[in-house]
Amino acid sequence: MQGRATQAEKGRPGYGVIFLGLVFLTAIELGISGVRILPPLSTVLYLLFSGMKVALVAAFYMHLREDNRLYTAVFVLPVLLLLVFALLTIAI
Amino acid sequence: MSQHAMQHVEDFRAGHALGLDHRKLGMWMFIASEVMFFGGLIAAYLHYKYRLGFPEAAELNVVLVGINTMVLLTSSYTVVSALAAIRQGRQGRFIAWLLLTILLGVAFLGGQIYEFADLVRQGVTLTSGVFGSSFFTLTGFHGLHVAGGVLWAIVTLVRGLRGTLNAEHSMAVEIFGLYWHFVDIVWIVLFTQIYLIV
Repeated sequence: MQGRATQAEKGRPGYGVIFLGLVFLTAIELGISGVRILPPLSTVLYLLFSGMKVALVAAFYMHLREDNRLYTAVFVLPVLLLLVFALLTIAI
Repeated sequence: MSQHAMQHVEDFRAGHALGLDHRKLGMWMFIASEVMFFGGLIAAYLHYKYRLGFPEAAELNVVLVGINTMVLLTSSYTVVSALAAIRQGRQGRFIAWLLLTILLGVAFLGGQIYEFADLVRQGVTLTSGVFGSSFFTLTGFHGLHVAGGVLWAIVTLVRGLRGTLNAEHSMAVEIFGLYWHFVDIVWIVLFTQIYLIV
């Protein structure tokens, strides 16, 4: 079983590359926090970078990119519902 | 019962009637319920944050929590590396990655306890006001999830040491990994909403 790798695994970025991407994005967030970029630009950047990090973890570490699409649906649907609730909560 | 129906029953019992592993699907459904659980807490936090304003949030130690965030992100890498190792039949590496995951999880919890103690010293407690209540409830529940994950990792480690996990039986590691990565995702959102967007 040693060295077993599926075709999907061969064609994707390595876990280490994803990890470096996550660290890089977090470092940028901390950098933005340090130089005190004002909202709304900072808010947009934070949401963009955190969204990218969530997508990277879900797609590559949780394997949603290559797994059955039903798993993605089970995860994404409540997230979308949550976003609607969160926006309504802020708006009320 | 027809041959076709019998085959379907057999597939269901084997755990792949939909072409899906039932344990994995169950974990994803649990994660979906957790999305709503944390979603409710985050929505409550945001509601009060935008209605009342949280000046106390400016006192939060972003650098310390930033380091803690890096620790949790690193633990996600070690978990996925542990899964890759067990799938390749590399038992020693699997044990090492999982041990590292446990240490990183404990380090994250240590950082969180330090942060909580610091806030309490500044007078921010669970009962000191709306900020304290919503902050400690949200981050506290996340910390409990990390603590649960550490215990789960220890159980998985023990199973690995006993040799009951291997390349053919790695689903238990994958399911544990899904939980751990989800806890990491929740923290990515909390770090942004609580510590960065103030």
